[in-house]
Amino acid sequence: MPELLEMRGVIRSFGTLRANDGIDLDVRGGQILGLLGENGSGKSTLMNVLFGMLPPDSGKITFRGRELSGHRPRDAIAAGIAMIHQHFMLVDAMTVVENVMLGWPAAGRVLRGTETADRIHQVSRRFGLDLDPFARVGDLPLGRKQRVEILKAILREADLLILDEPTSNLAPSEVADLLKILRSLRTEGKGIIFISHKLPEVLELCDEIVVLRDGRVTGRMPAAGASRARLAEMMVGRDVTAPHELSPRIPGEVRLAVRNITVPGLSGLSFEIRGGEILGVAGVDGNGQIELAEALTGLRRATNGSILLDAVDVTHAPVAARVRAGMAYMPADRSSTALVRNMSVAENLMLRDSDRSPYVRGVVLARLPLAAKARELMMEYDIRAPGPGVIVARLSGGNQQKIVIARELDRAPAVLVAHQAAWGLDPGATRFVLDRVIALRNAGAAVLYISSELEEVLAISDRIAVMADGCFAGLVSRADADRRQIGLWMSGRAA
Amino acid sequence: MSEPTSSSPVAVPQQARRIGFRLHRGDHLFVRILIAVLLSMLCAGALVAVSGHDPVAAFVALVTGAVGSPHQIGAAFNRTTPYLLAGGGVAMCFRAGIINIGAEGQIAVGGMGTAAVALVWFDDLSAVSTVAALLGGAGAGALWAGLAAAIHLGRRVHEVLATLLLNFVALLLVQQVLAGPLGEFGAGFLQSPLLPRASWLPRISPFNAHVGFLIAVVAAALLSFTLWRTRFGFALRVAGHSRPAAAYAGFSLPLLTWSVMVLAGAVAGLAGGIEVLGLHRRLIEGFSLGFGFKAVTVALLGALEPLAIVPAALFVGLLEAGSLSMQRQIGVPSALVVVIEGLTMLFVLAATVRRL
Amino acid sequence: MSDFLAAAIRIATPLMLAALGGILSECAGVFAVGLEGMMLAGAFAAIIGAWLSGSDLVGVLFSMLGGAAIALAVAVVAVRYRADHMVTGLTANILALGLTSYLLRVAGGGRPIAIHLTPLQAWPIPGLADLPVLGPLLFVQPPLTYLALLGCGVLAIFLTRTQAGLTLRATGENPEAVFTSGAEPLRVRMLAVIACGAIAGIGGAVLSLQQVGTFTDGMTRGRGYLVLAALIVGRWNPWGAMAACLFFGAAEAFELRLQSFGVPVGSYIVQMAPYLIALAVLAGLGRSSRLPAAIGQPIRTE
Repeated sequence: MPELLEMRGVIRSFGTLRANDGIDLDVRGGQILGLLGENGSGKSTLMNVLFGMLPPDSGKITFRGRELSGHRPRDAIAAGIAMIHQHFMLVDAMTVVENVMLGWPAAGRVLRGTETADRIHQVSRRFGLDLDPFARVGDLPLGRKQRVEILKAILREADLLILDEPTSNLAPSEVADLLKILRSLRTEGKGIIFISHKLPEVLELCDEIVVLRDGRVTGRMPAAGASRARLAEMMVGRDVTAPHELSPRIPGEVRLAVRNITVPGLSGLSFEIRGGEILGVAGVDGNGQIELAEALTGLRRATNGSILLDAVDVTHAPVAARVRAGMAYMPADRSSTALVRNMSVAENLMLRDSDRSPYVRGVVLARLPLAAKARELMMEYDIRAPGPGVIVARLSGGNQQKIVIARELDRAPAVLVAHQAAWGLDPGATRFVLDRVIALRNAGAAVLYISSELEEVLAISDRIAVMADGCFAGLVSRADADRRQIGLWMSGRAA
Repeated sequence: MSEPTSSSPVAVPQQARRIGFRLHRGDHLFVRILIAVLLSMLCAGALVAVSGHDPVAAFVALVTGAVGSPHQIGAAFNRTTPYLLAGGGVAMCFRAGIINIGAEGQIAVGGMGTAAVALVWFDDLSAVSTVAALLGGAGAGALWAGLAAAIHLGRRVHEVLATLLLNFVALLLVQQVLAGPLGEFGAGFLQSPLLPRASWLPRISPFNAHVGFLIAVVAAALLSFTLWRTRFGFALRVAGHSRPAAAYAGFSLPLLTWSVMVLAGAVAGLAGGIEVLGLHRRLIEGFSLGFGFKAVTVALLGALEPLAIVPAALFVGLLEAGSLSMQRQIGVPSALVVVIEGLTMLFVLAATVRRL
Repeated sequence: MSDFLAAAIRIATPLMLAALGGILSECAGVFAVGLEGMMLAGAFAAIIGAWLSGSDLVGVLFSMLGGAAIALAVAVVAVRYRADHMVTGLTANILALGLTSYLLRVAGGGRPIAIHLTPLQAWPIPGLADLPVLGPLLFVQPPLTYLALLGCGVLAIFLTRTQAGLTLRATGENPEAVFTSGAEPLRVRMLAVIACGAIAGIGGAVLSLQQVGTFTDGMTRGRGYLVLAALIVGRWNPWGAMAACLFFGAAEAFELRLQSFGVPVGSYIVQMAPYLIALAVLAGLGRSSRLPAAIGQPIRTE
């Protein structure tokens, strides 16, 4: 099949960070290329450069024999490249037809709605997309929304499709459907770049694999016969599968008792966590995890059920009262909930404790004790920053998360709710976070550790629950955890 | 959701900020504002030239009109006072992310409250009656702002529309009250009778400025202290940066919104009372016209820092005080000052985006 | 009664035109707080234009330029420089107020220039004007009123049936999606704001050129802000906004009638009616009003 895409020597920096450091890439028609790499390896940047969303600092891109340079997405689309982003570029308030017609010259200056709807029906049937043209995109489940994006690519007669982390929000059955659709597109002669950090899927689907790490290509090989261990090593640089040491503990008293908690998106959940225990919650994002975390910590009001912390009823208590009662919370949204990016390290350290000493004397904030305490915490939790007065936005993701941990753990909480605590962190920072969480558990606290990364959950939990459709599809102890069973529980959600 | 791995596209101050007063900002915030002011003066000069007058002469007339004599300086300070107070209150709201443009109505209602108390209070001790009247004004303003806040919070009406629409209602209310119980019969226009001498604000000769300016400066200092050194101020700033973070921090967003609105209303009401007791010595219809927007201008010029609003308000006050004599002497319409204010605000907005 | 309805339509016309412009702006994601200033600038420009050229049509064209000029300031500061939309709009209103008052006096050599033109006459539509009830009400109106009514239909078609309208609406919902579909959301927003100004300027021309034939300081008197409420009540839909404007027009006409009837309530209290009604309607809607998803959010360019 003909050579479709040729990228040579692509370099792109952001300030001092070299996101792409001289990358070469080739894709042929009728081929699926897997682009493997961890967060921050440069895969998204490379694709954004290809699609025209970012200009490269240097390098040459040739598509179908013609050079692409200084191009915008409009030009890439016209040339025959389609990109399906991790966060869908769809307008929720509009219908499928309207989304397809947006920016599509073939739909006409005066829109040809019915004609387009017919074409959508045709393509949908042909590729098994099962889409209703007049459905409101906002009402569609994630798997269907993704298909709208694929539909757009097909209708615009793209020869090359780029999919950026397409399975990160899909249940296993939806993933299987997607892979089927991609295979049929390959049969039609289209080239596909499949970006992921999930080894099993890449090995199953792709013809050839390219591994990126720290902006460079560290490996290039056909998928057939590639070994998982070798690929993992090329992705991360060392063997990360070392499990965390989790000393068995005899759990203490029940510290968190949740009965029948109900919130829109959460249907009557009940469970208990004892002191010295970590209950891990695995599951695809969007199955009620954030609802659970926020209902427990007071950011969302439960319509039914009860929450007891150390036998104290906090079901209707406001956030501040739950903090006082000993509930710590590390939210998934680090940049605008857990932290105030434009405030200083010290101010963020006192964010949830501004009503008690040493931070406050009466109604007035105590500046000197605040700075002193901040320095103390920065030392203890290894927060690398020039000083407590530095704006948090200037720190790395790892250091930002350390501030959150320092703040929540310094209170010696009875219960910790951690949601995506290691998201987007490099291995060193991830290790730090997990170590601290385990230390808290060893000190006798009860921990609810929610994460969409199954490996993390399996590594540190005493018991593992799987969330699907707003409830626990399954709950097992560490010893009885079986990956296949867990995968089945996770796919409880219909496409 | 993905973490940004590249440098943030958001403009952040280049230097660390100290906790506390931040009159020295690393990103040259106040320099930018100064440049914005100069730029707008240049544009104004161009407008004057285009209309056939000499810009330099106009500028000179403006300045001498503002500070030419002690009397004129006093008049400038008098004009500055309500802008300073109302601007401070608005700045506190903006800090919390709340756009309160109801200062005009809150000032009007405050003036009404002050006049009512002054007319009814029979005490001959001047300090007591003055203070009581001013408190009455502050209370009335607080109530009016609280009403807007209640509509905003209770029925999810946008605070811009709630405060704005209530402005119109407030002005009409004051007119109605002046046509009725508080009015002076046979006056020809809507005004209250002259208020009792005991309630008048003392004046400082030879400036003929009333002490309201000093009250306003003290109020600005208190507001600044509140913003930077109290827990309430901290909560306001957090809420202004990120509402989810404020909820996470345990602050009650409705309570914060309501509190800062009431605070701003009280301060604006106080401004109204000072106008009534210090300047006019009676309640006149329309005495607060345009003050609400002036408050926003002054708040922005002062980069939402109550202490920096003092020079900002002085700037506006001096401009306006000088504009009348500029019009008299040179013939340049005093509306030019409004143009300068508008242009300055536009340039300041463009220059200080995401830094406030 | 027909007098009352005629008054309602008359009062509503400038509001309707401003609302059409406002829909363009807000559907593209920019709060139209500057409508007041755009209307005022349009009102001023209309009088000056008509007076200088002797032609009402030129006056209307000038009104579009005047409104667009103020809109340009909003577009640059709020969209290009990403300042807060509401505060920028307020600022533009202050600027418009100052500029119109200043230029009015400059033109008159120090005092407001005294221009008194004949207000626009009604154009009866032959045939339709003879219909009972509806005839004199809808088909014997001055030209700009017809423009407002036609404009509703044109805008509705534009927004739902054309690629440009689709792109505009998408910019207010998800600018990133617009960018990846090939258009420039920044450019779309700026054009939308400027178009808003031009149309709102015609709304101002209704006040000055069509209704009284002169310009006075600040003659818009807060109508631009009332239109903001109409947009919410009408859910950013041309027909809904028109209905809301008619409703507010009726409220004011009602208040004027009350005054002439000598109701025992104080006359100033009565004048509060339109504003209180607007507040009540907004309060009644409360939770169900749904803004364009990306309105007010600045567009980041890489």
